[in-house]
Amino acid sequence: MEEEVLCLNAASYRHLIAAPKPLKPWRRVKGPGIFSIHLSLRKGTVLGLVGPNGAGKTTLLRVMAGILPLQDGSASKGKGTRAYSVHDLRQRVGHMPEQVRWQGQKSVREALLEIAEMRQKGEKRVDGLLHLVGLQGRKNSALNELSQGMRQRLTLAVALLGSPKILLLDEPLNGLDPVGAAAFIALLKSLTERGVSIVLSSHQVEGLVDVVDRLALMHRGHILAEGTAEEVASSLGLEAKVTVKGLGEPPAFGRYNLDKEQIEMKQKDDSWSAQLENVEPELLKKLVDDDFTITEWSIRQPNVVEMLCAATGQSIEDVGLEVASSAYLPLRSFGGEEE
Amino acid sequence: MSDFKRIYRLSKRLTLERMFSTRMYIMFPILLLFIPGMAWGFSDPDIVLPGGHQPQTSMEVLFYASLGVVFGATMCAVLLSYDAVSRERASGVLELRLSQPMPRSHQSVAMMLGSWQAILIPTWILLAISVGIVRYRMGEWISIADCIVYFSSTALILLWYILFTLLASSYTREQGTAISFGVGMWFLFTFLWALVTTMVAFASGVAIGQENDAAWVMLEGALDLLSPNGVYHHLLETRLPQIERGIASWQSWSMGLVWTVLPSWLFIKRMEKILP
Repeated sequence: MEEEVLCLNAASYRHLIAAPKPLKPWRRVKGPGIFSIHLSLRKGTVLGLVGPNGAGKTTLLRVMAGILPLQDGSASKGKGTRAYSVHDLRQRVGHMPEQVRWQGQKSVREALLEIAEMRQKGEKRVDGLLHLVGLQGRKNSALNELSQGMRQRLTLAVALLGSPKILLLDEPLNGLDPVGAAAFIALLKSLTERGVSIVLSSHQVEGLVDVVDRLALMHRGHILAEGTAEEVASSLGLEAKVTVKGLGEPPAFGRYNLDKEQIEMKQKDDSWSAQLENVEPELLKKLVDDDFTITEWSIRQPNVVEMLCAATGQSIEDVGLEVASSAYLPLRSFGGEEE
Repeated sequence: MSDFKRIYRLSKRLTLERMFSTRMYIMFPILLLFIPGMAWGFSDPDIVLPGGHQPQTSMEVLFYASLGVVFGATMCAVLLSYDAVSRERASGVLELRLSQPMPRSHQSVAMMLGSWQAILIPTWILLAISVGIVRYRMGEWISIADCIVYFSSTALILLWYILFTLLASSYTREQGTAISFGVGMWFLFTFLWALVTTMVAFASGVAIGQENDAAWVMLEGALDLLSPNGVYHHLLETRLPQIERGIASWQSWSMGLVWTVLPSWLFIKRMEKILP
């Protein structure tokens, strides 16, 4: 097993939110955030953070980047090792925040050089990174002239400035065209091959499922499940679904020990298709032996949305586009009344 | 690379960015008219100021010409730095800066120096031109000591305005609020401080505006220590022996130190705790 590069132990951070009272208009109380997070990141792996809006993904990334100080718990290289200070984290981590809107008259190269000063990196490193992220041809362009995709590339270049051991990416594919996104994914793969560990928060994890080694499902500031996609699905009681298509009379799947709830049947003209759960491995052989004409048999693992819905108890129909106010409350209460 | 060198290099980049920004191109002609323009006007041999007063020495002329700094350069300092933090915060660039290993206190110092130098360099150039104009018009150079006090106190007042504006910029999430605070503060110290002085005098039973009344002069002098513009004039008056407002040189320089250290410390502390 690969060595640990970052281990969060009971990490907590809660944002202060305004809660004015008539005699205390400046009053603030602890609000949403992350609660007692345990997470381990291994060398050369990609961890995908998934969760609905307001789940705490960005807060967790900021804590890992050393931008927000831990209020409770610790971050270290591994269990039993010395806790990292925020300076240690900033030294080791490259952080790519979501949607940085670079603006101004200064050039792309100047903007990168300015931040390179903070990491004591020179012009050679800056030029190399501009080449790596595909901005070499735009290095003298003003920041105001960049498209959103180019700004994303520039932000990635900043994140890579310090040759980080850990790379934190918040919605990295936003604004990238399909070709750019594919190139980006290829770049992530090459970085992991070089031993860089990546934490990736994205609403488009479906598109990154081939890159992600492990998933962490977040909701209301907690990690509800963490592991490989199969492990997470299994821990949530989700199983692979089988799609069967055929011609002629459809089979009565009840005869093959399947409940009605496990069968979703569609029929059109002379063809039919069925989506089945909890399927025995011998079912295909039994259908063929019973002279049914099977044209397609495919197995689909549970997707991220299904995992998320299973983990949070939400369904797509119930949630819609609304951000539930309950998303901002912790699942558990800590020490009774809010401070 | 030493910490000092790193701060210097970063501040130099910030200075160049602001000094050659569009807003500086707009403000520089205004400064040009205000600072050397006032030096030209006050050094006119035939000028008669209110009360029939005529400036006698080149330092006195430059003292009156410092109104150009108070009215023009301080406003430029506000306009140049009001978005130094708030814009970066709104755009997300601040988050990138905060995730860098360079200590935030060092980043803050670089930011202060960068914004300060961006207005200080053009202002000093214009002051130097003013000194030349006064020499040309009056045939007399100011002394080295006068020159040092003139340039250093101008540097200090610009630093104070930069610091107040940076503080406001770091507390506000909207650039509009930051600039409102900066301009409001400029109005208070440039125009409204006389009203504050009048109100305090009224409450203290001192006759208002009587330039020959020692109590009024002393009160005005003391209250001026609480205003950056007032401290600036006190510092300049240390080179004008004919002006006596009951404030010793060491008191003026001490208040100058307080106006420098306190907001600097507050800004650094603020930046150490700022959230993206």
